[in-house]
Amino acid sequence: MIELRTGLVGSGAGSAGGETDLLIAGGGPAALAAALYASRYGISHVVAESWQPGGQAALTARIENYPGIESITGGDLAAALRRHAAAWGASFEASSVVSAKPSGNRIEVVTDAASWSARTLIVATGAAPSRLGVPGEEEFYGRGVSYCATCDAPFFRGKTVMVVGGGDSAVKEALHLAGFADRLYVVHRRDRLRAEPLLVEKLLGCDRCSVYWSSTLLEIRGSDGVESVLLRTPGGEAEVPVDGVFMYVGRTPATAPFRDLIDLNPDGTVRTHDVVHTSRENVFAAGDVTDNELRQVVTAVSDGARAAAAAFELLQRDEGGKG
Amino acid sequence: MAVKKIAGREIETLTAASDRISLVDFSATWCGPCKMLEPVLEKASEELAARVSFFAVDVDASPAESSKFGIRGVPTMIVFHQGREVDRMVGFRDKGALVKHLTSIADEKLGV
Repeated sequence: MIELRTGLVGSGAGSAGGETDLLIAGGGPAALAAALYASRYGISHVVAESWQPGGQAALTARIENYPGIESITGGDLAAALRRHAAAWGASFEASSVVSAKPSGNRIEVVTDAASWSARTLIVATGAAPSRLGVPGEEEFYGRGVSYCATCDAPFFRGKTVMVVGGGDSAVKEALHLAGFADRLYVVHRRDRLRAEPLLVEKLLGCDRCSVYWSSTLLEIRGSDGVESVLLRTPGGEAEVPVDGVFMYVGRTPATAPFRDLIDLNPDGTVRTHDVVHTSRENVFAAGDVTDNELRQVVTAVSDGARAAAAAFELLQRDEGGKG
Repeated sequence: MAVKKIAGREIETLTAASDRISLVDFSATWCGPCKMLEPVLEKASEELAARVSFFAVDVDASPAESSKFGIRGVPTMIVFHQGREVDRMVGFRDKGALVKHLTSIADEKLGV
């Protein structure tokens, strides 16, 4: 059961904004951990929950590598993180950040619900699934093309589906789909999967699953919905009949509103040093939006805690300066 | 104005209005983004009450209609005017983006 919208401040549109010591942009595990720590530190704050409450975690079928919890759905873990933060007094605003610019030693943050003047900012806006950019991908989105196996797998009960990608997300979600589909293909551009060995072993042991190695998806074809895909394989081009195509080809960081505020890398991620520090002293970053290598719930919550601690330290210095 | 839960043939009868546009959200209980979309739709329905009717369909309760409308992913939001599909959105939208998009469709179909 997902309970992601409790404890909102104001009604979104009715939220007045104003001054705050900390604004946390994002609604995934990194933002929720930052909100928990900020609440316990007693920092006045607001969480602008961004494009998707719960973040990518809420779209994940099962998470089995979060220490202390053997297996949980992504939605349940995200809801638990949010409940935990709310229980300690976290303040949420149902909004996305539209723009953020410096003003003296503060950051003026405009969300689609309010305007805030924040002394510190934590950017934890995460990343959205990348598009591959092949013909048919946009046309058949929602008609067989999907970026969320957790959401859409039940539509493919007894059908044939293809997963594109070879990382942890691709293999994990392929295994989830294998519980519904009759036949499952994975198409991967390399000759080995990058995913965690345990997951790869499970996939290769599944008798209804097979992998097109060193192959790329060229086109998605159909009429009312997806009917087939065109692949380039080492043996030449091949048209494979499928009912659904699930894309796991990387993520695009949600950093557009912060482009002029802090340094970004060419791939759009926030350039960090010392894990959560950015090019601006009072702006911190956490989770999948950063250039930190490992992108897991466990690293996101760690980043969130560190970012809240760093903001707390800066606010303490302000206080010390006043005395 | 709230989001009204509907099922079966109601989809066609309730979206036939000519003086309003209708948004039908096809969703499912198992789908995380659908849950997240619910409060967004509630708020958008209040803001756009004068020109847009909001309906929600549980795909498990209306399998024939879901199939008829070609739903293969949730959430899928279909916008109707005079009973005809005029727009389709797949996946979560935040309130700002949704209100802006629906306002432009309403302007086009109903006049500014």
